[in-house]
Amino acid sequence: MRITRIEIRNFRSIRHVTVDLGDATVFVGPNNAGKTAILDALRIALTRRWGQRGTGFDEYDVRLADDTVDPRTSDGVSIELRSDEPEPGDWPDAVTEDLGDIIQIDLFSGRRWVALRAQWSWNEDADAFEPTWEFLDAKRDPLVGRSARRVNLDRFWRYLPVFYLDALRDVRDEFSSRSSKFWGRLLRALEIPADVEAEAMRVLDELDKRLLKADPRLDAMANTLSGATRIAARDREGGLALRMAPLKTRDLLARAEIILRNEPDAPWLPLRRQGQGIQSLSVIFLFQVFVEHLLGELYEEGSQPLLALEEPETHLHPQAVRTLWHHIHRLPGQKIVTTHSPYFVQHVPFRDLRLVRLTRNGTEVRSLPASFSTSIPHFDGLDEVVAKSGDLTTYEAVSETLTVNGALDDTTYRALLSLCGAHPNRTELESKLRDLRDSSSLYITDDDLRALETQGQRMRGEIFFAERWLLVEGPTDYLIVHATANALGYDLDQHGVAVIDAQNNGNPGTFAALARALDIPWLAVFDGDKGGKDMIKKIRNREFDDNSLRDRCRTHSAGDLEAQLAADGPEAELQDLLASMGVPNAQTLRGNGLAAKLRDSKTAYASELAARIRDGRATAQSMPAAFRETIEKLRGMQ
Amino acid sequence: MRADPLASTLRELSAIQQRAVEWHDGPLLVLAGPGSGKTRVLTCRIARILDQSPDERFRVLALTFTTKAAHEMTTRVAALTPGLEERADIHTFHGFCAGVLRQHGVHLGIKPDFAIYSNARDRRSVLQDALARGTSYPDRADQRLLPRIDYLKARLVGADQAEEWCASRNGTPAREAARIARAYRLYEDELRRSNALDYNSLILEAHKLMAFPAMARHYRTMYRHWLFDEFQDTNGSQYKLLRRMAGSDFRRIFAVADDDQTIYEWNGASIRRIGDLVRDFGCEVVQLPTNYRCPPPIVEAGNRLVVYNARRRMRKRPAEAARPTSSHGERHIQCREFETDHDEATGIAAEIAALDATKRAGTLVLARTRALLESMQVALKEEGVPATLLARRDDFVSPQMRWMVACLRQLARPVDRRNMAILVDAFQRFAQVSLDLDDLLFSCAAEGVTPLSAWTRMVQSAGLRSPVSELANRVAGLASGEARPATAIEEILDLLGNHESDENLKDDLSAWRRLSGEIRREVGPAADLGRFLQELDLRSKEPPPAPGSVSLATIHGAKGLESDRVHLIGIVEGILPSWHSVNADGVGPLEEERRSCFVAVTRTKQRLVLSWARRYGEWPKAPSRFLEEMGLFGRECRRGPGAGPSVPHSSPE
Repeated sequence: MRITRIEIRNFRSIRHVTVDLGDATVFVGPNNAGKTAILDALRIALTRRWGQRGTGFDEYDVRLADDTVDPRTSDGVSIELRSDEPEPGDWPDAVTEDLGDIIQIDLFSGRRWVALRAQWSWNEDADAFEPTWEFLDAKRDPLVGRSARRVNLDRFWRYLPVFYLDALRDVRDEFSSRSSKFWGRLLRALEIPADVEAEAMRVLDELDKRLLKADPRLDAMANTLSGATRIAARDREGGLALRMAPLKTRDLLARAEIILRNEPDAPWLPLRRQGQGIQSLSVIFLFQVFVEHLLGELYEEGSQPLLALEEPETHLHPQAVRTLWHHIHRLPGQKIVTTHSPYFVQHVPFRDLRLVRLTRNGTEVRSLPASFSTSIPHFDGLDEVVAKSGDLTTYEAVSETLTVNGALDDTTYRALLSLCGAHPNRTELESKLRDLRDSSSLYITDDDLRALETQGQRMRGEIFFAERWLLVEGPTDYLIVHATANALGYDLDQHGVAVIDAQNNGNPGTFAALARALDIPWLAVFDGDKGGKDMIKKIRNREFDDNSLRDRCRTHSAGDLEAQLAADGPEAELQDLLASMGVPNAQTLRGNGLAAKLRDSKTAYASELAARIRDGRATAQSMPAAFRETIEKLRGMQ
Repeated sequence: MRADPLASTLRELSAIQQRAVEWHDGPLLVLAGPGSGKTRVLTCRIARILDQSPDERFRVLALTFTTKAAHEMTTRVAALTPGLEERADIHTFHGFCAGVLRQHGVHLGIKPDFAIYSNARDRRSVLQDALARGTSYPDRADQRLLPRIDYLKARLVGADQAEEWCASRNGTPAREAARIARAYRLYEDELRRSNALDYNSLILEAHKLMAFPAMARHYRTMYRHWLFDEFQDTNGSQYKLLRRMAGSDFRRIFAVADDDQTIYEWNGASIRRIGDLVRDFGCEVVQLPTNYRCPPPIVEAGNRLVVYNARRRMRKRPAEAARPTSSHGERHIQCREFETDHDEATGIAAEIAALDATKRAGTLVLARTRALLESMQVALKEEGVPATLLARRDDFVSPQMRWMVACLRQLARPVDRRNMAILVDAFQRFAQVSLDLDDLLFSCAAEGVTPLSAWTRMVQSAGLRSPVSELANRVAGLASGEARPATAIEEILDLLGNHESDENLKDDLSAWRRLSGEIRREVGPAADLGRFLQELDLRSKEPPPAPGSVSLATIHGAKGLESDRVHLIGIVEGILPSWHSVNADGVGPLEEERRSCFVAVTRTKQRLVLSWARRYGEWPKAPSRFLEEMGLFGRECRRGPGAGPSVPHSSPE
């Protein structure tokens, strides 16, 4: 089993979010956006301790509208988890036997699922916040009777053991025989044959004797210490001895530790003496060892570990971080990861990413879903329209859910609208359909995403951490716009602006659509020539209207960037620049000729110009107006 | 050595009983005559399956026909395999279906906390409300359609198919069919609106769900073994449900049945059902002919009787008595003839009264009709013998308890208007406080409180004296959520119980104690109120027999009973067999009467007394043909006072 969806209300920074979870899901977002809150919500709802004394919740967990609100009058925290069978028949029979009282069944597909709602709210009788839980049916009504027995909750948890590796994981704790949930259990589970154990004891006793004889002071020490037993005298005499070697083989095993060396001739060192990166990484691998060797014994057939992993990249070199995704992806069970590393994100599939942001409405999560749903009551003719749409739409009658697997096309949308005409709740239905169409218009196709995989992979790491995007044509624009912004006192890196150049990263239309889907503010500057117009056309093709395009996209009025520079710039600065690059007769170049020479050595001139803008040898104010205006606009954006 | 209750119980079984208990997974029918230890075989088999799979999670489903039998089996399984009984789900057919619908009813628009309307009064008022809501000019005649609706539901005909079914299958005129279908549809809508189901809909709706392969598969997987008690009583809709659940592959079926004890054909049971089971599931058959209950003369009389039934299973072996005939020369079967039914009642009552108290306790008086038992009860009362009439009660009989249950129902379903009417009416009956329901509903709408809170306010403000005012205070505590239901209920019961020596209330209170204990054991002390009420609805509210009292039961209510001393009264032509069966076309009804007689006589552990009178009311009656068939003519019949000749006539006058 695995968790397919979590819906959280009124929990810390979260007012209401719903997140779909896959085999591996990666949350990215700035500090304090609410990533850890999502992980904690999962952990609390799935941790055995929950519902007993000292639940995972505390009083600061209830999100309140503001400081003046009494927590007791709030709705309290609600966490809904849903676990869906991937394909009908995937869950082993043992799951049905065990969880038969809480399983719900989709009658038509035969797929099974379980939904749990955990709440933490004020209980007037108890005069305290109290945890409650209930399993739900398709209408989200709580199941009663046998299904409401506590044993069902315990069983459900056994199928979803959750393991939390937080950002501050410490190798000394994780590999401690006492405090580690993995290492200690692994050591305790070791089976030592009786003859080996007896032999080990014999050797230990022998060793002990020899050590005690090694220094005569030991004998004297023991003698003095034995005074304790004489004072606390009882009828029968006790004894006191010094023990140098461990008393039992178990004690010996408890001291087991990992040692390693980096080079064949380097000394062996314990793990805690290794670099931070190795330490952090080894904890993740320890989890794998634990799952492979002990999970089956400790849990059920069909149990799948859920690993909540914070910042796997901690202390690791970028090269190592890049490969880390592949390791984590292959870890057993379901993985939920938070990261701050662009290197890590580079290899994460787009649909597995979740962008977490803090807005006025609290934490919000954006993703690139493959389908969109709305809850809408059944009405006459609906089934026919759905059938006619092929695989595009589906309707689930019990939960009254209409789902679009892609963007809702105009024909289907209009057909649905016209059916609502006679319905008593016409306005409500129409507005729901409109919302569905609007949200599904954010759909990014698999083809788009594939194109981005091939062309924009390196970019991906950066852009998902950015707060705004600026689309430009090529690397020249990239260099100059960065330098200009810096000189104008608005450093793009510092303000979280990612500059994306289409030449290196693919279709600007895709980026614009991506920005829209992820709700990332964006602007664009292109050349005023045919190439630039093509760029804008590609964006327009993604269903952006002209007003929005006029608002977001600027072009150089004189043509391409070089033409614009030649037209705007103090000629002397540009001539000097070309001269310093060794262009003969640079001083005589003007107008078109100047622009042509600049075009001849694009990257070279651009980096030199950028350097000059930064140190003041070239004036930012003379850079193209489209750049300067866009920078000002970015500065004003919230 | 650890005490192993299962092993020691298994050792006590006969070889053939053990064979049934140890039977492998294949489908099996156990033909088990009266007193053959069938419940023991069933419980041992469940315990054996659980015991041999301690590490597995699958469950065993056992279905019975009474909550009492289910409860008893659950208790026995728990005693045999302590700690494993959790995996045994033992229910009645209806209880099982209620569970299915609680969990999956959402697909049919049923909420998990539905109420079960079990008594006719509630259901009639549902139909009345439905008709009032659904038609502008309700036809009073439509209110009498409830039996027609029940008839359709019992045959799994849904409201949407009713019209066609009536017209085509039942030859009902088209207008009449449309009328029935409309009333049916309105009735169903009203039930849904009230978030309620009636008995027949439990089976009907569960049957609908099982039409989906994924649902049936779920139950097949969850329950690896299915066991059935008294399979001969399964009616057509129950059997169809079972077939759907089993699909085409499921075969791990173990049914215990006796075709000679099929006495519910009037309710859709059929002696053919056993044959259907054997054929549809390819059951092998094991017979348990040994009768451990009855002495040999009674076993023989039973054997002689049932061979007159032509439609029995041909290869059924005659029963064998396991017990010896009494060595004290006691006659195990005796006959009594009386002149009139009154003489019979007083004569038998006097005979029972003359017994010493230990023999008298637990004596069982059986009759074909309830009317005979009521006369008997009067006669026993005159003799000063305590007697309890065992009969299913769909509801409590005292207004006090009906009021209290209505209060609880109102807590679980705060806006149930129909229940509120029952509450107000019942309260008026015992507390003489009359409140206007419409006023009440209006005031709760105006003040924004629940009807129950409005009711307590109105009663509290009426300035009544204790204990009535105290009752209202307790309910106020419940309504506000300040009082724990369990505590408040106890306090209310105490207040009611102190009241007086009201027989009905006494009956109800002892029934309540038994039922609430039973339910708490079964669903756990933490079960919510809604679930508790669902269970209460499924159970009969009759009181347990008072200690030392004589039990009176109709033959149809005698299933599962046994007693050292059994009186079967009114064994005459026209009563047993019934007038209807004697005059019916075909032998079916008569054969069912014969099986009834068989069931009656085989309740006996020691002594059976058969009695009859020559006249019942105005009607002269001849002794039953079953006496002759059992070979009991020619035996000496002790004449009751005022009786005629000592040898009964064999032909009707």
